Amino acid sequence: MLVSLLLLGLQTTVLNDMRPFEVMLPLMLLFAVAAGTIYGSEVGAISGLIIGVMYDMVLSTPLGLASLVFGATAFVAGMLPYFIREPTWWTRALTIGVVGALGELAFPIAQSMVGFSGQLQPRVIVVIGLVAVAGTLGAPLLLLVCRWTLKETLVG
Amino acid sequence: MPVRSMKSRRIMALLALTSIILITLDLQGSSATRALRSTFGTIFRPIESVTRVVTRPASNAWYGITHYNDVTAENELLREKIAQQEGAAVAAAASVRLSQELLALNGLPTLAGINSVSAQVIGDSPSNFVQSVEIDQGTESGIKVGMPVLNAAGLVGKITQVFANRAVVMLITDPQYALSVKIINTPKPTTTTLPLQDPATAVTVVSVPETIDPQVTIPPVAVTSNIAGFTPGSIVAPRTPIISSSLTIPPGSNVSVRETGVLEGRGAGRVPTVRFIDTAQRFGVVQAGSPIVTAGGSLSLAPPDIVVGTVSRVRERLGTAGPLLEIDIVADLSNLSFVRILLYQPITERTAP
Repeated sequence: MLVSLLLLGLQTTVLNDMRPFEVMLPLMLLFAVAAGTIYGSEVGAISGLIIGVMYDMVLSTPLGLASLVFGATAFVAGMLPYFIREPTWWTRALTIGVVGALGELAFPIAQSMVGFSGQLQPRVIVVIGLVAVAGTLGAPLLLLVCRWTLKETLVG
Repeated sequence: MPVRSMKSRRIMALLALTSIILITLDLQGSSATRALRSTFGTIFRPIESVTRVVTRPASNAWYGITHYNDVTAENELLREKIAQQEGAAVAAAASVRLSQELLALNGLPTLAGINSVSAQVIGDSPSNFVQSVEIDQGTESGIKVGMPVLNAAGLVGKITQVFANRAVVMLITDPQYALSVKIINTPKPTTTTLPLQDPATAVTVVSVPETIDPQVTIPPVAVTSNIAGFTPGSIVAPRTPIISSSLTIPPGSNVSVRETGVLEGRGAGRVPTVRFIDTAQRFGVVQAGSPIVTAGGSLSLAPPDIVVGTVSRVRERLGTAGPLLEIDIVADLSNLSFVRILLYQPITERTAP
């Protein structure tokens, strides 16, 4: 929880100001996806749901929407072992980038489903492209932080 | 580990169900979700403040690297504009004051009669899909949901969430934002041919737009004479023939014509549009550069006559849909620093006692 609060602090301050090509990098989402790639679908989904609720608190979208999106995305990321038996660090990095981009795309879709339409625009392509690149490049650091954060709470 | 797996699945299902319940409650405007957000905000603000202080050097370095050339060019342009505007500002202030005095004299509402609160923008929306900013004033300053937000140039948005000492402003570029506005269209003057009349019974004629056919036939009218000595009754006035002499409407008597429409945001990177314009003959063809102001009204999100922008492009549409106007917003939404919140609440946003 503390690490999530710190990540949220980074998300709302420095990442909110530093926007390459006017795109904000979703650190919270990428962290949840990283948790899913390391510890599986269930742990990823739980992490995503909790992190998503915290992210919802600072947004003006309905409370719980980001939680569901993050949880579902991290769950999907946790299915990596079904496709690659022993994933290496770079396969995890690629997964974080691709699934993170899909999760960022799912957010405006989820907004449209609850009545907040108008967000699905051509600009979304730039957003998901940058999120994929940023997620892949930042994955080694995210994996490190995620392992350090969650290893104490998980046994075996 | 089947036991642990079952436990994890139960927790996952519980959290997912909680999220769905929270979405449902929030969409219905529950006070519980507002209280939850407020409580979380109270806990999170110190962490965010510390993080902002610690990461400020990194943010400043980023801005310095990416925006230096833009800032210097903008600085030079602004110096030039300030010099041009100083004289115009004095004349405009006098006109505004005179207008407000006239409106007040006639008992009509003015912007000067609405209290306001100044606030500083302290952050953007932490999302790629919501156009909003956060300000450092809240309910303690009298701010409520629905109140319009302006800056020195014009309309910026409206308050959508408010807490004790901060609030969230939805910008007018957000797709969820809609507002009734007026387009002030000045039709081009024209010369109208009128029949000669007795100066004692002459009428004032206003110029008409070019789209109107000036050929008008005058039917015979019944006129009652009340001149002393005559038996009261109706007298049919003779049909007046049209004579060739003409009257040229003097300049300055052209009255600006206003038509209302709905302004809608279309998201980041796209200009807002105005539609539902009724191109009546009196309104004429919409001119590019026509100013757009808020329409006001008891159901509007903002009081009348707040500057919004100007028409940049008119897109004609087939059928009776009317033209679609793309507008240039006067307020620079990418560089908001200080804003003013009008303590004006439309009827649609007032909560039941």
